[in-house]
Amino acid sequence: MGHMLSKFNVIGPLAASRLKKKKKKSREVHTFVFTSRVPLSRSVDDKNRMFVARSIAADHKDLIHDVSYDFHGRRMATCSSDQSIKVWDKGGNGEWTCTASWKTHSGSVWRVTWAHPEFGQVLASCSFDRTAIVWEEIVGESNDKQRGQSHWIKRTTLVDSRTSVTDVKFAPKHMGLMLTTCSADGVVRIYEAPDVMNLSQWSLQHEISSKLSCSCISWNPSSSRAHAPMIAVGSDDSNVTYGGKVQIYEYNEVTRKYAKAETLMTVADAVHDIAFAPNLGRSFHVLAIATKDVRIFKLVPLQKDSSSSAPTKFEVQVLAQFDSHNSQVWRVSWNITSTLLASSGDDGCVRLWKANYMDNWKCTGILKGDGSQVSGQPGALSGVLGSATAQSALNGATGR
Amino acid sequence: MEKMTRVSGTVSGCTMFCHLDAPANAISVCRDATQVVVAGRNIFKIYGLEEDGFVERLNLRVGRKPSLNFSCADVMWHQMEENLLATAATNGAVVTWNLARPCRNKQEQLFTEHKRTVNKVCFHPTEVNMLLSGSQDGFMKCFDLRKKESVSTFSGQSESVRDVQFSIKDYFTFAASFENGNVQLWDIRRPDRYERMFTAHTGPVFCCDWHPEDRGWLATGGRDKMVKVWDMSTNRVKEIYCVQTIASVARVKWRPERRYHLATCSMMVDHNIYVWDVRRPFIPFATFEEHKDVTTGIVWRHQHDPYFLLSGSKDSTLYQHMFKDASRPVDRANPEGLCFGLFGDLAFAAKESLMSAPQSVGDVGRKTYPGGDRRYPIFFFKKPDVTEQFAQVSSALSVFESEAGSSVGMDWFINTAQSYLLSGKPFAELCEHNAQVAKRLNRPQESTTWTMLRIMFSEPANPSLSSNHNLNKSGNLPLVNSFSMKEMSAALNERNKENRQDNLHSLETNLNNNDENEETEGSEGQAEYLFGDAELDDDDLYSMEHDNQAAEEPEYLLPQEAFPLRHEIMDHPSAPEPVQEKPESPHVSGSEAESTCLTPMESFSLISVSQLLFSPHLPPKFFCPIVKEMLCYYAEQGDVQMAVSVLIVLGDRIRKEIDELTQEHWYMSYIDLLQRFELWNVSNEVIKLSTCGAIMCLNQTSTTLHINCSNCKRPMSNKGWICDRCHHCASVCAVCHHVVKGLFVWCQGCSHGGHLEHVMEWLKQSKHCPAGCGHLCEYT
Repeated sequence: MGHMLSKFNVIGPLAASRLKKKKKKSREVHTFVFTSRVPLSRSVDDKNRMFVARSIAADHKDLIHDVSYDFHGRRMATCSSDQSIKVWDKGGNGEWTCTASWKTHSGSVWRVTWAHPEFGQVLASCSFDRTAIVWEEIVGESNDKQRGQSHWIKRTTLVDSRTSVTDVKFAPKHMGLMLTTCSADGVVRIYEAPDVMNLSQWSLQHEISSKLSCSCISWNPSSSRAHAPMIAVGSDDSNVTYGGKVQIYEYNEVTRKYAKAETLMTVADAVHDIAFAPNLGRSFHVLAIATKDVRIFKLVPLQKDSSSSAPTKFEVQVLAQFDSHNSQVWRVSWNITSTLLASSGDDGCVRLWKANYMDNWKCTGILKGDGSQVSGQPGALSGVLGSATAQSALNGATGR
Repeated sequence: MEKMTRVSGTVSGCTMFCHLDAPANAISVCRDATQVVVAGRNIFKIYGLEEDGFVERLNLRVGRKPSLNFSCADVMWHQMEENLLATAATNGAVVTWNLARPCRNKQEQLFTEHKRTVNKVCFHPTEVNMLLSGSQDGFMKCFDLRKKESVSTFSGQSESVRDVQFSIKDYFTFAASFENGNVQLWDIRRPDRYERMFTAHTGPVFCCDWHPEDRGWLATGGRDKMVKVWDMSTNRVKEIYCVQTIASVARVKWRPERRYHLATCSMMVDHNIYVWDVRRPFIPFATFEEHKDVTTGIVWRHQHDPYFLLSGSKDSTLYQHMFKDASRPVDRANPEGLCFGLFGDLAFAAKESLMSAPQSVGDVGRKTYPGGDRRYPIFFFKKPDVTEQFAQVSSALSVFESEAGSSVGMDWFINTAQSYLLSGKPFAELCEHNAQVAKRLNRPQESTTWTMLRIMFSEPANPSLSSNHNLNKSGNLPLVNSFSMKEMSAALNERNKENRQDNLHSLETNLNNNDENEETEGSEGQAEYLFGDAELDDDDLYSMEHDNQAAEEPEYLLPQEAFPLRHEIMDHPSAPEPVQEKPESPHVSGSEAESTCLTPMESFSLISVSQLLFSPHLPPKFFCPIVKEMLCYYAEQGDVQMAVSVLIVLGDRIRKEIDELTQEHWYMSYIDLLQRFELWNVSNEVIKLSTCGAIMCLNQTSTTLHINCSNCKRPMSNKGWICDRCHHCASVCAVCHHVVKGLFVWCQGCSHGGHLEHVMEWLKQSKHCPAGCGHLCEYT
């Protein structure tokens, strides 16, 4: 308790000023400056400010479990335990407006994801109610248009799971219109819509049993013909006595089945999120994992003779491992060029990670959760210095 | 009834179960929580609840041929009289049992007034002899156990009765739920008509339960998967809470001592038992997942103990669940969502309590709660009640938009894609142009790469003239051709790789710098230069080492020991310099010497063979492995744009060096990126310029434009510009009367059109067709 109290003293004034700020209307756009400790000659305005935080009144009645941008970055979908999905469109002024909000499932909606726009404006969601649903936006023929609301209709409900469906992902576009779900009983299901024009018909193509309760999946986005379709599955099984909470399955052209290609035995804690980095012409794969810490793995495919039906062997390297969230890490997300990784954890912060040319990954920014603060320069700072810097940033912000 | 003393301390036990001989339909406990009765079609037994397991006490199915009266749909243990039980039989009989009877057959009374299955029996909570039944035949009957026949019959005039429950607080009131979705309230003294009726659910209402404390709160569950809580105390029945479950609700039971909690189980599909906090109707507060088949009966073990729940199931097991062993779905539910947008935006949604955690918690180097769960704000010195925390929850959503011009944004990508020239000019000019573009976008490494490429692959015949001319104009690449290559490579070889790269980089970037070539300080430490795009932190990393950074561009300084410069080179940039070490080699021009200054990756390998540089004619092929390595480097750094752009510009010079599959992969990735950014024109250009078969065919899929001749308005049938009917050129601009090359826009109504900009200009002034045909043109 004494430790806590002293800490409380340190952050006291900060917390107070933060609280003061919080009283302002939430729609307000806060602007924060990313300051550096070193005096800079460049004009502060163009280089040092990384992000403008814009908080959105989401108006979900329970926790939001997932946010997802569409292919072009202009739409966003949120899903919540309140069983609804909301779709947000970015206006010309950068303002996000909710253009659709509808009740989707009869349980918490864990994930929402966009299909490639080539297949239309299509969303998939999965839920505690053991189903995954494919939604399509209908243009016209609805009088909702006057209210600026678009209309989403249910195209299909996938009811194969006997337990909560914990993740849903569309396969990369070059594979066609395919959808993967994973469920708490450890089954990964791969569906395909044979006719891309008909979103109501999906056939279950593969069922992979991972034996462990699944929490997240990620497709390898590589479109190279040299890379077989590959999917990584994370498990939130809480038994830490054995590892292998991340399994990687690869499609085998010969057997026409998915087979386990790799198990990351070093991952023993529950995995909450997993994300392949955008491939962008690389010969290897990079995988980010959110577990007790943030981990980045590099999977280098080893040469194999094409005739054999054995799955590809990989050389697995751990590129980075960060426990600076100090607790559970819930989400990881790559930017489009896969040069930046964002992670969020129980500390309510978003941390940005970046590699230098030596493949040394470092934290390059911390964003505080409610958008109220962007503090900078975490890398080498001690705690006191860190809060001092944060304070100056904060003061700068409030003065603005 | 006087409130019983708290028993949570006295009742103990663990999660346990026993196998039954047959599926259970209903269970009930006696008042002191020591015994439980299990009833089903083929089972009617009493089990004792011991510390560590269930013990069978009594089998009530006696006789050689058990009659249908034993086939129980429901069972209830009297809460006042501990020897008294009542069962509802599937043949319509209502049976009471007295455990105190001395013989083996404990059956006491038999009422056979109902015509169909009796769904429910219910003892009055305080009146010893009063029993109520509800049947599939639509009637409810009240029995006085001292009499042979029912005292009164209540006709719901609805459909089958699914549940009847005496109010706990109101002596005369009971509630009945029906298959048509109605709930009725009756006064036991007035069998002629109900007091109130309301429609609670769409579809059957399978169950109802009065709140043990709140007078007038009634929970109902129906096939519509909802649990609703109604406030009956007001004039109009009001729905105050609604919980959506994932399957039809078969049973609902309020949790003792927890005002807002209730337990449910479902009739089909779902075998779990859920405990809900009605204030947070979306996520179960707790889940019991033991049963393998439908759970048919749930009952709290003791009416003042919230920690034990008993359940019977179709899987022929009887369970005692401990609350502490329940799974908590909310703990597994992730409280945050995070997504990177295309433009470097970050959308972040998180539970509000996470974000109100004190600020310094997040700072590195302060492990405030090592390994602990800091889900709750620490300035609550006393942790609030867990159930209170559960109920009050919300998420905040925010978007971190990448600041325009900041390094996380993707503006550079779009600008680069649009500004790069990939074809249409001589090779050297393309490179020069692209170098300028990269420089303008503050990407010195890419800029240098372009310059190097130009130098490496330009025709050796006219090396210095054109390029140096350009250089002078642009001034971005002074000639550095006079330092000792031998010394340099020797020095370099002694250093470790990292330092080499740093220094080489300094060397290379120094070429961009027209000032201060003689400066020798700095850069001893590790200048952590990050290659690739979108530097987040280059300010930081540079300025750590280079405090004197004052110019708009970073200054890179040469370490003296590695690169002794022989003389100031700034003053004569255009003339080929005599090379100091080897004056006898007359062909070394400025550009060839420059070519040693490559981007860090390739320069390293080049240095080791730097002797070769002094041979008079260096074939461009010589550089191919290096360039290939460089392209791979860019691709692996995530800058596939550079890889593809160079690939296209170099064309045949490099193509054969890189295997087709890799090229195709790069092209595909880049095209995909361009299409994400909706850079359709660039994407198409790349497709057109690509040499991979798989890529080129991307835009050769059948796209047909049907156009009319603007003169005779007939459909154009042949290829080409001339209409084969009127023999006029079909694509003449109606504004300027010239033939349109490039973007041609036309009105679908009158077939007239012209240059895009001309037509746009015209339409600002007039709505009519510029051709004068009188048509009110519409362009969409």
